[in-house]
Amino acid sequence: MVRVSGLHGSNVLRPYLAAVRSTLTAALTLEDFSSQVVERHNKPEVEVGASKEVLLNPLIISRNENERVLIEPSINSIRLSIKIKQADEIERILCHKFTRFMMQRAENFVVLRRKPVKVGIQPSLGVLRFIDPRVAQGYDISFLITNNHTDTMLKHKIVDFIIQFMEEVDKEISEMKLSLNARARVVAESYLTAFNV
Amino acid sequence: MILLEPHNHIIQTTLAEKASQPSALDVQFVDFDGVRFRLTTPDRKVPTALVLSMSIRCWDELVRYGVNDILKREYGAALRAEPEFGYNVTLDINLEQIPPEGDERDTYIKSLALLKRNALAAPFELGFQTQKQLEAAASGQGELMALHYRDEEVIYVQASSDRVTVIFSTVFREETDRVFGKVFLQEFVDARRLPTIQSAPQVLYTTREPPLEIRHLQGLNDSEDVGYVTFVLFPRHFANADVANSTITHIQLFRDYLHYHIKCSKAYMHSRMRYRVSEFQKVLNRAKTEAAVVDRKTVS
Repeated sequence: MVRVSGLHGSNVLRPYLAAVRSTLTAALTLEDFSSQVVERHNKPEVEVGASKEVLLNPLIISRNENERVLIEPSINSIRLSIKIKQADEIERILCHKFTRFMMQRAENFVVLRRKPVKVGIQPSLGVLRFIDPRVAQGYDISFLITNNHTDTMLKHKIVDFIIQFMEEVDKEISEMKLSLNARARVVAESYLTAFNV
Repeated sequence: MILLEPHNHIIQTTLAEKASQPSALDVQFVDFDGVRFRLTTPDRKVPTALVLSMSIRCWDELVRYGVNDILKREYGAALRAEPEFGYNVTLDINLEQIPPEGDERDTYIKSLALLKRNALAAPFELGFQTQKQLEAAASGQGELMALHYRDEEVIYVQASSDRVTVIFSTVFREETDRVFGKVFLQEFVDARRLPTIQSAPQVLYTTREPPLEIRHLQGLNDSEDVGYVTFVLFPRHFANADVANSTITHIQLFRDYLHYHIKCSKAYMHSRMRYRVSEFQKVLNRAKTEAAVVDRKTVS
């Protein structure tokens, strides 16, 4: 687990995204790998989770308790799960709606997973792992990138997309919250001014 | 259009049209809060004799609060003693007798279009009268009037010696509605700090917990989705007839106004998200190499 902390507020965003970017670029070295379990099948190993030796170490990059990225690499695919900051009820609803909106269009998004990951893959047994209870919560949205994607698309552009997504999502949610508050204010004022004697 | 219009648009436009060109018609339409209307020419050979009927869910309660007096006052002879079958109140309109083209005609048609508003004004007018009586007596509490104007939602009106309290109980059917509603209602409560709105009625709201005035009632809906909004109207809000009328018109539509704006915000959020998603799509498409672009799927 990589903790990007020690700095306060928005200063942490740049190193956080830089860490995610470099980790992702390193993890996106994927190659074709036929399934060892079923003949003539070719599946994303991180989703199947059957052969332990092709799964690489999962990594969590966290900005603070409420914002994390989980990267689970394997030989032919990687899964990236994001937990988006949701400070209050409104943000939780907006985030939920937005991620649901995107996940319903997962086919168009190619690299998006239809369901977010709740609990990541546990690395090999035999090593005593301390499961941090704060980390055991689920994630809001997940991406699945396979070797097919890296073959047909430019790798650094995929990474660009993910990083841009992370930036934009936070911005979008706070903009929607602001516009909701502004609208509420206008609505209340118009109604009450009409009562003016 | 931020504020809802109190008059019924269909009545207004149909009557304005037919006043200049009478013809046979039979229209059934609805308004907010499950109110049904029917505008017909019962005798097809006499297109100038129109009949307007309205059906309201809470008619019996309105009768108790004096709606018949109010309607007689507003519409006089046009009010029919026996309403049409299936409706609660009927007005006879004779197009030959309405005022000539111009302001007078507009006012007349407007007053017909305000039929629903006039009917629902009954408990409020009674509340204002009671308040004046109590003010003279300097103490006491009026009757707690309940108006079950919608399936699970009620308006309560109670007069005291120095104010009239109006309580709306409203149900939010979805969790999103509830959260949005909370944001909106919090702004209503906070809006009073603005200097221009100092004289507006005081607004309070609670979720699930009914306010003190109605806590003793049976049959209250108890669940997370229920919210209660209390308006405290002071005597200055109904000091003279004009102000009182405008207060009543305004406060009747509060629940519809609130839910209308909640739905509008949800629609706005949706269009924003749709836009943002298509932006992301564009960024992702930049990642595709030339060969992959060929078999692109259409984006809905």
